[in-house]
Amino acid sequence: MHLQTAVRAFAATALLAAAAPAALADNTQGITDKTIKIGNLGPFTGEAAVFNPLNYGPEAYLRYVNDKGGVHGRKFETVFADSACNEAKGIAAAKKLIYEDKVFMIMGNPCSGVAMAIKPMLEKEGIPWMGPAANPKLTRPTVPAMFHATYTGIESGQNMAKFALSNPAIKKFALIAHSNDWAKGYCDPAEAYIKANGGEVILSTAMERGSTDATAQVLQIKQSGAQAVMGCLYQHELIILLRDMQKFGANAVVVGALGADFDQTVQQVGNPAAVRERFFQPYQFKAKIGSKSLQDFHDIFVKYLKKEELPKAGPPTNFYYFGVPVGIVTVEGFRRAGPSPTREKWIAAIESIKDLDTGVLADKVSYSKDNHVGVNRMFAVGVDKDGKQTVYTQWGKPLPE
Amino acid sequence: MLAVFLQLVVSGVATGMLYALVALSMTVGYRATTVVNFGHGDMVMAGAYAVFVFVGSGLPFAPALLLGLVVLFLFGLGTQRVLMRPIIAGPHLSLAMMALAIGYAVRGGARLEWGSEVTTLQRPYAQDAWMVGPVVFTTDDLVIATFVILLLLVLFLVFNVTPVGRLIRAVFQSQRGAALVGIDVHAFHGVMWGAGAALGAAGGVLLALIVPLSPDMGVWTLLRGFAAMTLGGFGSLHGAVIGGLILGVMEKLLGFYLSTVFIDITAYLITILVLLIRPSGLFGRQAAVRV
Repeated sequence: MHLQTAVRAFAATALLAAAAPAALADNTQGITDKTIKIGNLGPFTGEAAVFNPLNYGPEAYLRYVNDKGGVHGRKFETVFADSACNEAKGIAAAKKLIYEDKVFMIMGNPCSGVAMAIKPMLEKEGIPWMGPAANPKLTRPTVPAMFHATYTGIESGQNMAKFALSNPAIKKFALIAHSNDWAKGYCDPAEAYIKANGGEVILSTAMERGSTDATAQVLQIKQSGAQAVMGCLYQHELIILLRDMQKFGANAVVVGALGADFDQTVQQVGNPAAVRERFFQPYQFKAKIGSKSLQDFHDIFVKYLKKEELPKAGPPTNFYYFGVPVGIVTVEGFRRAGPSPTREKWIAAIESIKDLDTGVLADKVSYSKDNHVGVNRMFAVGVDKDGKQTVYTQWGKPLPE
Repeated sequence: MLAVFLQLVVSGVATGMLYALVALSMTVGYRATTVVNFGHGDMVMAGAYAVFVFVGSGLPFAPALLLGLVVLFLFGLGTQRVLMRPIIAGPHLSLAMMALAIGYAVRGGARLEWGSEVTTLQRPYAQDAWMVGPVVFTTDDLVIATFVILLLLVLFLVFNVTPVGRLIRAVFQSQRGAALVGIDVHAFHGVMWGAGAALGAAGGVLLALIVPLSPDMGVWTLLRGFAAMTLGGFGSLHGAVIGGLILGVMEKLLGFYLSTVFIDITAYLITILVLLIRPSGLFGRQAAVRV
């Protein structure tokens, strides 16, 4: 009897073991007749929670699509998972999404460190990822199932430099950055672009997270004679830099990276003179936030997000709009994949997208087998001499409203 | 070059005043209880947010500030009474861990409410700047310096002239002795823990005038405050202030002349060097330190 039981147990174990790889390779995981299960991974807690509107933007779009009947009869079912922007927590959260919740794909995840940490797992399991994390190494060289729906640090860094260089008088640059991968992801491409296009980097300096002032950095910038500063900084430190640039009378213009929300930064600097014709940022959108052409997205956010998912005060901010293309392109993939989607079909569908107008981004979205970053062209945003927020196509040339 | 040097020193003093205030508030708690509060940075943060909430609810700045300080005093008193007192006779490590845990809990609460946004506390005065020779001064610099100097004077008087000061010194020198002569040491600890939290809150409010509010702002200030306290000498009020000023100036000078990377690590370097070379700091006395 014991032998028979043991043989049966062995056989059952062998069957389960044989079935396991099949389950891992299940290219319809997360798909039922009625639903598509999506993992939404992001910093819902922790010190980088300021970036979670990048998760709520696409979520609002999925709810909007659900409200319109879904895609091919299926509605999206989101499972939120908190990475706290911490690699260890992110890996644990991604494992839960993949192996317990059995999602079809992971969407969102604005934290580059977490995205890089879970990349091997996504590659191994073939789980699709569509996100806004800035690290270009996520999709360069291309990984079959990973896509950037928005700009990586390369596009943003190049556009920071490109905008400043579109002013013929600006040739001398200073770089100020956090000592981390995220900041390098912006400042390195900016530096390369400057050098390749006739500019000169005459100062490279650091400003760490948690700084309470930027005296040393600003005096270095003043002394160097830099005409433009590439500020690869998060919002907190960018605000301090701009305040101190004004305090010490540093005349260089500052072009900030996308780690800061432009509107909030301008408001929280608290001194119009410190930002007027002084502070710019690459601009991801086709028009000014608050303008008529982006009104539909504003309405989607307000209608479909819960109170706690929206800003405590004021309208949805830049990061909501920046996140929404992740949802739009994800949904477009399912539309194109047809009524019986698989991972392979979804990936092929995404790679077939050419010149998709998301209605929100400054560039149209195009992918191919060799290019998994959908967009490139950006504008710039700044505050003009009259104190009005203005989108520029290049230095001194406002985008027609 | 002299102009740059002078500017760095002036800015360093202005920043150092903030570090001094944090160190001062930690010292007050330490002098009364001989326990270093490693959760103190989060009291600094909580004070800033408390005033932010009161100002946001429509209160003018001055009453909001007073109310914020009272709230933090009561919070400090309450946490000492409810969470620290039951383990006060336990191992020093338990006290340090409890202080840390309280700090983490406060930070976690702040993150739940404000973790998703960067906010600022509006100044109750107009920010202005003046040139004195080649050096720039701002209203912020003057407000912070004036507040810290006044506070230092008040604390000096309280500690050295008043009966409360004698009480504090008695408890600092020997808790058992103080208890034997009839001082309610437990109640005294609670009040001083609360006073330390309220002073830390004042530091948080001043800090919030110049940097955006963040639930993690206390972590950065704790490190600086601790380094200033270590440099000045544990338990020394004027040592805390001088330690804060030296740290602020060193950060600026090393940051400008060597590398801006030093701004972030000066506090650690000072802590390491002082503990190795002169553990009692510049003005500290040897005492039984409970950490």
